[in-house]
Amino acid sequence: MPTEQFIQQLKAIVGEAHVVSHPEDLVVFEYDGSVAKAMPETVVLPESTEQVRQVLGLAYEEGVSVVGRGSGTGLSGGAIAATGGLQIAFTRMNRILGLDRENRTAMVEPGVINLDLDNYARKSGLRYAPDPSSQRACTMGGNVAENAGGPHCLAYGTTTNHVLGLEVALEDGSIINLGSPSEQPVNATSGYDLRGVFLGSEGTFGVATRIVVRLLPLPERVKTFLGIFPDVESACTSVSAIIGHGIVPAALELIDSVVIKAVQNVTDLGYPDNAGAVLLVEVEGLEEEVEEIGAQVEAALWETGAFQVRAAESAQERVALWAGRKGALGALGSLAPNYYLADGVVPRTQLAAAHRQVAHISQEYKLTVANVSHAGDGNLHPCLLFNEREPGALQRVAEAGAEVMKACVDLGGALTGEHGVGLEKKEQMPLVFSDDDLKAMLRVREAFAPLNRLNPEKVFPGGFAYQPTAHRAGAGMFI
Amino acid sequence: MTPSLPSQLAKFLPIGSLIPPPGLEDYAVDGVMPQAAALAYNREDTAEVVRWAAAQGVSVFPRGGGTQVALGNVPAEVGLALDVRGQDRLLDYQPDDLTVTVEGGISLGQLQRELAPGGKFLPLEAPLAETSTVGGILAANTTGPLRFSHGQPRDWLIGISVVGGDGVETRAGGKVVKNVTGYDLNKLYAGSLGTLGIIVEATFKLAPIPAEMATVLASFSSLQEGIVAGGGLTGTAFAPNGVQVLDGQAAHRLQLEEGQEILRQAGAGSALAIAFLAGSPRGVKRRVDETARLLGQWGALDVTVFQESESQSVLESLADLSWSDETKPYLSIRVTAPPSAVAAVAAQCLEASSPGMAPGVIADPGYGMVQLFWWAEPVSEWVDDSLILETLLRVRRVARKAGGQAVVEQCPLSLKKQIDVWGGQPEAIEIMRRLKRKFDPAGILNPGRFVGGI
Repeated sequence: MPTEQFIQQLKAIVGEAHVVSHPEDLVVFEYDGSVAKAMPETVVLPESTEQVRQVLGLAYEEGVSVVGRGSGTGLSGGAIAATGGLQIAFTRMNRILGLDRENRTAMVEPGVINLDLDNYARKSGLRYAPDPSSQRACTMGGNVAENAGGPHCLAYGTTTNHVLGLEVALEDGSIINLGSPSEQPVNATSGYDLRGVFLGSEGTFGVATRIVVRLLPLPERVKTFLGIFPDVESACTSVSAIIGHGIVPAALELIDSVVIKAVQNVTDLGYPDNAGAVLLVEVEGLEEEVEEIGAQVEAALWETGAFQVRAAESAQERVALWAGRKGALGALGSLAPNYYLADGVVPRTQLAAAHRQVAHISQEYKLTVANVSHAGDGNLHPCLLFNEREPGALQRVAEAGAEVMKACVDLGGALTGEHGVGLEKKEQMPLVFSDDDLKAMLRVREAFAPLNRLNPEKVFPGGFAYQPTAHRAGAGMFI
Repeated sequence: MTPSLPSQLAKFLPIGSLIPPPGLEDYAVDGVMPQAAALAYNREDTAEVVRWAAAQGVSVFPRGGGTQVALGNVPAEVGLALDVRGQDRLLDYQPDDLTVTVEGGISLGQLQRELAPGGKFLPLEAPLAETSTVGGILAANTTGPLRFSHGQPRDWLIGISVVGGDGVETRAGGKVVKNVTGYDLNKLYAGSLGTLGIIVEATFKLAPIPAEMATVLASFSSLQEGIVAGGGLTGTAFAPNGVQVLDGQAAHRLQLEEGQEILRQAGAGSALAIAFLAGSPRGVKRRVDETARLLGQWGALDVTVFQESESQSVLESLADLSWSDETKPYLSIRVTAPPSAVAAVAAQCLEASSPGMAPGVIADPGYGMVQLFWWAEPVSEWVDDSLILETLLRVRRVARKAGGQAVVEQCPLSLKKQIDVWGGQPEAIEIMRRLKRKFDPAGILNPGRFVGGI
């Protein structure tokens, strides 16, 4: 347990009101979007880089482990205080510090919500491209830690492709700049790309205190197509046909019949009863390009077996087409009280095979599965539906989830496309990487955080690395 | 007496791997002759050589096409030059997955030729594509004229295998385009100048070859006007893939007949803005029209449009300009700056040049870069090192003031021995040094060439 003196020192840094240490108040910091939970011993909510520096410096001296937290939307346990210790919640560091229209960049604090940044940029005719499904809630700091993706990453890349510079605090509290985190950033800096390797390091290297991102001009025109297919198989063929034609749409998303049913339960979107899969394709660019490429997309949808194709151009109509996809996870509540969201990724051409494997695994484990996929990227999100009150259900789901990961790896893919390893997938890391590979990764963590005090117990399989963490939590972690 | 390096290597390398002494000169690094040079035809040999070198404390200088071998500080000594060009296989090409896996020694040109029948390409325009190897391009993180939209080599790298300083091969990333399984070491190795490991395999994501390509060339009465106009294009919805703005001196070296003609008509002090456009047929037509219209509105004196094949040749000549034997400058400096500062930085760099040594300029106002080139004649006879050094220091000040950096890419050896080509230590040098010690504990990989003495 933290000493009273430690808590008093934290209060002296951030103010009385911004330190949480009573167990009943700490409960809300126990969860994230994954099925893991663990209680931090103390939560602190700083409002400036200087406060973060002091908080980390104090924790370092006291030998307390530290984990950063944004909005807690992460799906792999990244923000879970696995060893108790101190959690830094960035909720109060939520200012957009500047937007440079000419250089098309913005500088934000880590607690800024992804969608708030995008909406802010749009007022200047710009946008922030990465759009994780949790974008209404997730923070930029969390996006950096997890290298977040989203539907539009198909054309524009993930968070790493849009971050130009970072100001980060290391485990001893020292503040350091990576890349070019200035008001007017530059594109290339000499030395190793520490910015690049920090992206997706899941809070184990440091915590970002300031983030400079690239913004993109808004496209002249956007057109969204929705193709309704008899089954997932033909929808996957359509994906291959579109990409094979040399078209990389802005987004290419798939939902299966279970999701369609769930969505229809909540709102009638007019999907026919025999809809086995829905493919959503967004094309954007110049008028002419959208027309030309749009026509090719539409033709490909029909040719590969779509029995209904809808198209929309106005913002309002497009929102209606996206409603099924965006509302997918929320609607699953109409089918089961809980779901476990997997994050497999395979080469695009293996997408149909991956869906077949997922169907097979869910049958074997007697689970209903609902599929929501970033099909264009080969990134599938099978949602395994369950009821946590049913004895053994969570265990069965965790086992089935591990099988899904293994199936994806066997198809030439990886464990996680965009959610991160965290606690959830760390034991599966040896499926993908050898001990030597993992040791190479560990060297980087040691270079940034020699004492491994930041977000310990994440990414690497248990027992793989020597963990010099002194301070352990009373509260355990369970999955 | 310890046996010589070549005789030690001969004990375990296949026959024919050692370069005979007359050939060593080709492997000199900044004038420093290696004690030995060898060809590593596969990753196993590469690993074995590195393990041996680590045990013996022999420095290893990995070598691809050698196009960027001048990049970096002058090494104290060169133990073994390890030529990896024999590792030039394409291992796996999946056009419909938009991915390719290759060995590190394949040339960019060869790779693009093998990709083309599948309708895909790797969007990198590194200089001397027929000579540059993929491993070398990654190690040097070399960019080309379309860096505004195509970014850096590390942006396309999704998987990598390297032989580290301990002679152990390790892997990171994978063959999928979206992947957060483990730390993104792709970013770390790309741009590390061979100081953390020798790249033996790389997997890239690819892009479809655009249906059409065109180039708009426009002359301006001054470099400033050209940069402002070119930069203006990059903020629009029909932004080009890249814009390069050349001053008269640089344009002259480019040897474009039409370009020369429009420049001649434009007169002295003029500049040439080149915008590269790609996309669907009607899309490109519209882009050409809009680009020409806007450039005209922003002061272009004359506008010429090149179609497909001519565009490709302009792109290649531009990429190769400062690297081909015929047009190689004796001094070149690459300055990075925020895009909005490019016009000012270019002007200040010109002012910063010592009398009698005005550089040729290529500005990239979309990406934020100004390249300065000093071609030897006609001033070489009386330009001495101290004048060059003064110019360099002033250019460095200009870059720093703009928040950027000035890296010396090419330089006379006599001067190079006196400077740090990287222009000082990055802020995070301590972490970089720790990384170097961990990945290369014996300090044998390309020692002394990178930032901060790494």
